[in-house]
Amino acid sequence: MSARMNNLTNQNAGQRRDAVAAGMPLARSFSVTSLSGLEEWDEEFDLEDAVLFEIAWEVANKVGGIYTVIQTKARLTCEEWGENYFLVGPYMESNVRTQVELIEPPNAALRRTIDKMNSSGCKVYFGRWLIEGSPYVILLDVGFTAWSLDRWKSELWENCAIGVPWFDREANDAVLFGFLTAWLLGEYAAQCEDPPHILAHFHEWLAGLGLVLCRQRHLPVATIFTTHATLLGRYLCAGNVDFYNNLAEFNVDKEAGDRQIYHRYCLERAAARCAHVFTTVSKITAIEAEHLLKRKPDIVTPNGLNVKKFSAMHEFQNLHAQSKARIQEFIRGHFYGHLDFNLDKTVFLFIAGRYEFSNKGADVFLEALARLNYLLRVNHSQVTVIAFFIMPARTNNFNVETLKGQAVRKQLWDTAHTVKERFGKKLYESLLGQLPEVSKMLDKEDFTMMKRAIFATQRQCLPPVCTHNMLEDSSDPILSSIRRIGLFNSAQDRVKVIFHPEFLSSTSPLLPMDYEEFVRGCHLGVFPSYYEPWGYTPAECTVMGIPSVSTNLSGFGCFMEEHIADPTSYGIYILDRQFRSVDESCNQLTSFLFQFCQQSRRQRIIQRNRTERLSDLLDWRYLGRYYISARHMALAKAFPESFVYEAQDPTSTTGFVTLVLPRCHPHLPTRSIRPHITARLRTRTRHTTKTWRLRKTA
Amino acid sequence: MPEAYQAFVTLATTDPYCMGSLVVGKCLRRHGTTRKLVAMVSPNISTEARLSLEDVFDEVIVVDMLDSRDRAHLFWLGRPDLGITFTKLHCWTLTQYTKCVFLDADTLVLCNVDELFDREELSAAPDPGWPDCFNSGVFVFRPSLETHSRLLEHAKMCGSFDGGDQGLLNTFFSDWAIKDINKHLPFIYNLSANAIYTYLPAFHKYGHQAKIVHFLGRYKPWHIPNKQQPPTDAPQWDTNRNLDKYVDQWWAEYYGHTKMHADEPQELQDVEHTEQLGMSEAVPCSIQAPTSWHSSQPSVTSPTTPHPHPHSHELVPQAEEREEKEPSELLTELTLNAPSSSTCHQLEDTCLKPDDLSKAEAEILEQSQFQEPPVEQKQEEVISGVESVLSEAASNTEVSNANLEHRKRWEEGRIDYLGKDAFENIRMKLDQFLD
Repeated sequence: MSARMNNLTNQNAGQRRDAVAAGMPLARSFSVTSLSGLEEWDEEFDLEDAVLFEIAWEVANKVGGIYTVIQTKARLTCEEWGENYFLVGPYMESNVRTQVELIEPPNAALRRTIDKMNSSGCKVYFGRWLIEGSPYVILLDVGFTAWSLDRWKSELWENCAIGVPWFDREANDAVLFGFLTAWLLGEYAAQCEDPPHILAHFHEWLAGLGLVLCRQRHLPVATIFTTHATLLGRYLCAGNVDFYNNLAEFNVDKEAGDRQIYHRYCLERAAARCAHVFTTVSKITAIEAEHLLKRKPDIVTPNGLNVKKFSAMHEFQNLHAQSKARIQEFIRGHFYGHLDFNLDKTVFLFIAGRYEFSNKGADVFLEALARLNYLLRVNHSQVTVIAFFIMPARTNNFNVETLKGQAVRKQLWDTAHTVKERFGKKLYESLLGQLPEVSKMLDKEDFTMMKRAIFATQRQCLPPVCTHNMLEDSSDPILSSIRRIGLFNSAQDRVKVIFHPEFLSSTSPLLPMDYEEFVRGCHLGVFPSYYEPWGYTPAECTVMGIPSVSTNLSGFGCFMEEHIADPTSYGIYILDRQFRSVDESCNQLTSFLFQFCQQSRRQRIIQRNRTERLSDLLDWRYLGRYYISARHMALAKAFPESFVYEAQDPTSTTGFVTLVLPRCHPHLPTRSIRPHITARLRTRTRHTTKTWRLRKTA
Repeated sequence: MPEAYQAFVTLATTDPYCMGSLVVGKCLRRHGTTRKLVAMVSPNISTEARLSLEDVFDEVIVVDMLDSRDRAHLFWLGRPDLGITFTKLHCWTLTQYTKCVFLDADTLVLCNVDELFDREELSAAPDPGWPDCFNSGVFVFRPSLETHSRLLEHAKMCGSFDGGDQGLLNTFFSDWAIKDINKHLPFIYNLSANAIYTYLPAFHKYGHQAKIVHFLGRYKPWHIPNKQQPPTDAPQWDTNRNLDKYVDQWWAEYYGHTKMHADEPQELQDVEHTEQLGMSEAVPCSIQAPTSWHSSQPSVTSPTTPHPHPHSHELVPQAEEREEKEPSELLTELTLNAPSSSTCHQLEDTCLKPDDLSKAEAEILEQSQFQEPPVEQKQEEVISGVESVLSEAASNTEVSNANLEHRKRWEEGRIDYLGKDAFENIRMKLDQFLD
C-alpha cells in the first residue's frame, strides 16, 4: 500500500489534475478548482505563544463515548501542540491508579497555579495520561471542594439566574467542576508574566459551566464548546417522539422542564450561547442543536479513529477470512442437526451497540429481515443469511441448548480426529508392504463410532434464537419481535437469527472472539439507527474494511453522504429514515440486504477493498483538521487584534474531496480509474494541518 | 342535619397547591357529593388560579397568612414550606357551616366520601409515622370561633412540636388516640403514599379499597410530569409503580377539569371578570400548550409565579400590613402609572397588575424586582425621594427575600420554566456580560 502511495504522491500535481480532467468519466461532477487552493500553503500558524486546555468530564474517566473521542484524538493534538496541551478532567482515584502517572508540572506558571489552588483548599493533580501520545492531564478533585458548593451555587444564581436542584448529584458535580476549571484558567492567566493566548475547549454540558464562567469573568480565554448530542434530543428520542419531523416545533423550555432536566438544559444552552465557537459532531446534530439549543454550530467537528495500517496491503482480507472461519465454526455447532445450508454461501450480518431497541434501529432491522426472508425464499436463493444481534441485556448466563451445540461440534471434531489417527496408522502399516486396500482401511469399529457421533447430532428442537437465558424473556423487545415475525431458524427460513445479549469476549466458551475479530469476520454491519449523533460502530466497520448500513439520521451516514459521491459502491449503504416512513425505510433496507446477498464472493472482496480505502477519511489525521479550524476560529474571535481567521470560499471550507465514482458497473470498476481516486484523497490528506489559514496580524 | 350547612374544605397557599385543590374539588364533584365545596386561599394566590378554583368550588375564601413563628423547628424538620399550613386553623372560622371535612390539597379522592359527615369532631386517620397521632390531611371538624381562638391561644402557649399544624392539632385534641374509637377514621380515608413502601403486602391486600390517597412528602403529583417515558438514565427520583397509578389518575383529573372548563359557556358577572376569566382559562392550558414567554399574554406567564411581595411571617398580620404595604404599593404605582386604591385589600392591586400592564411593562417590573439591580436601584431612588429611608430598607429586604425564595424554588426542582425562568430571560442575563 505504501509503495503505491509513494508512487502516486510523487507525481506532479499538475499532471494529476490533467489526468483527472481528461481521462476520467465522471458520474457526478466535482469542482476541479477546489484543487487550486492546495499550492497556497505558505504561512503556517505559529503556536509558540498559545496554550490549549481541553476540558471534559470523561478525561481519564470512562463513562460513555466522549472518552473514546478524547482518548483517540489525544495523539494528534499532542503532536500539534506538544508541551502546550493540557487535558482537564475530574480526579477519580481508581482511574488515576490505572491510567495516570502523576508528575510535577514542567511549566513554571502552571506549577504556581496548581500550588496556589492547592493552598486555597483545592486538590489539583498533574500527570501524564498513559494513552497514545501521553498528554498532560490536570485532574480536579470535585468532592474535596464540595464545601464550596453553596457559595458557588449562589454565585451562579446571581450571575446567570440558573439554580441547581439539590437532588441532582450530577448537576452539582457539574457546578463544582465548572467553578474549578474557571478558577484554574483564571489563575493560570494571572500566574503567567507574559500571558499566552489561552484556548479552552469544553466538551458536553458537564463541563459547560466553566465556559460560561470564563466569559462572565472576562478571562482572556478563547472558548470552544462541543456538544456530542443534546440532552433534550436524547430524552425526546428515548420517549418515542416523532423527533426530526417536529424539530422546529418543540417548545424547548417546556419539553426540558417537563422532563425535569431544565437546569441541565439551561447549563448546556448557556454554554452554547457563551462560546466563541460552538461545534457539534455531525450535520444531523448540528440541525438538532440549532433547534434545541438555538445556536447554529459554527463548524462540524466529526469524530475520528486511529487507523491501524498494515504493511501488507490485503492483510485485512486475510484477517476477514480467519475470523470468518471462526464464526463458521460457531455456526456449525449452533445449528447442529440443522446444517442444511452451505456455509460458503452464507452471509453474516450483525447489529451491535447499547440495547436501545428503537433508537438503534433494531426494530427496522428485524422487519427488514422478515421481508428479506420472504424475498430469498420466493427467489429460491441459495444464499443463507445469519443475522447477529450483539446487544447486552439482563441475562442468567448462557442457555444449555447453545452450550450443548458447541459440545456436540467438539465431539464430532474429536471423533473425526480419532478415526483419522487410526486411519493414518493403518495406512502407514500397509504402505510398508503394499498398496493399501481402501475397503480395509476403515473397520466396523470406526463406522460404529462415526454413526454414534452422527446420531448424537440429532435434535428435536430448532436451533435457539437467543444464546442466553433472558431475565425478561417475555417482554424483551427483540424476542417479542422475533416471535411476531416468526423467524425461528427453521429449515425453510433463509434468514436465521442469533441474539447474543452480552458483549463479546475472547474468553467466552461460546463464541471466543473479541468485538474487533468478530466484526472482521462478518460481511455487513447493519446500523439503521434513529438517533445516533455520531456512530462509532459503522466507522469501526469501515476502517476494518467491512461494509455497513447506516442512516441519514446518524452522524456517520451524513458525513459519508456528504463526502462521497456514491457511497453504496464503497460499501456504505445509507438508509433514508429522515424523509421516509418506517415502512418505506424497511423496504429500502430490505432491498439493500437483498442486493448485498446477490453479490458474488469476488464482488464482495472488491467492495471490501473499496470500503477499506475510506479509512483514511475517518482517521484523526484527516478529521483533526476540523478541530484545528475550530480552534483557529476561536482564537481569531477572542483575540481579534492578534489573529485573523480567513475562511476559504464555501466550496472548499468543507475541505474534503468528494470522492467520485466512475460510471461503469459499481461492482466491477476498471483498474485504470481507481488509483486516481486514491491519489486525490491521499494527497489532500497530506495537507491536513494546513487547510485553514490563520494569519497573525502585526 | 341539613346537608346545605356541611362542606368539604381545602386550602391552597401557593399556585402549585392550587392545582392540587382544583383536583380535590374536581374529583369530589365527579363522585357526586351533595355537600358544599369551599376552598381557602392565601392572598398571594394569583387571580387566574383563584378564578379557576371558583369554577369548581362553591366558595373561594381569601384568608390571611398565618405563619408559625417556630422557624427553628421548621428548619429542623427540613420542611420550611410547612409553616404556612398554620393557615389551616382558619377553617374553624367557617361558621356558616355546622360541620366540615378538611382535605389537604395534596389528596386525591377516589370515590364518594360523604359518609365522613356522620363522624364527629375531631375524627381523623392515624399518621403512618406515629399511629398514636392523627394525620391532619383529612379530618372532620365543627367550625366554631371559640375553638378557633382556643387553638390560637394553644399555639401561642405551647407551639407545635413538629413545627406544622399537625403537631399543634395533636396536642390540642390530645385524647384522640385513646378516647373514642369512632373518631378513628380507617386508614383508607387517608392512605399516605409512603405507606405503600413501608408495608407493601398490606397495600396489595387492602389497597384497592382506598378512598382517599394522600401524597405526603416533598414531591407532589404536580412535580411529576405525567406523560413522559423517561429514558433509562432518567432521574427517577420519586417513581414507584403503585404510586404512579395514582399520579396518572391525578393528572387525568387535572386535565379532565381543564377540558370541561374550556368547553363551558362563560357565565360572567361583570366586565372586569370577563377579561380575567378569559385569561384564567389559559392557565391550566399553559401547562400543556406550548406557550413561550413572548407569544403569551402576561397573565399566562406562570401558573406558579410566587407573589412578588412576600408577606412577612407574623402571627398578627393586620399590624404588620400597614408598614409593609406602602413601599410595595408605591412600587406598583410607579410602574403602573395608575392609582391604586389604598382601601382595598392588597390582593386586589397586585392581582390586577398582569391584566393592566402591557407586556413590556410587566417585564420591566419583573426585572426590576428580580434581576436587574440597576433598575431596581433607580426605582428605589425615586421611592426614597418620597418615602423614608426605613421603607427603602424594607423594600430592599423584600427583594432579596423574593430572590432567595426564587432560588429555593430552583433548588427544589420547582422551576417556573414556562414563565419567568424561561431561557429567554436567562439569555438576557448572560448577554449582559457577553458584550
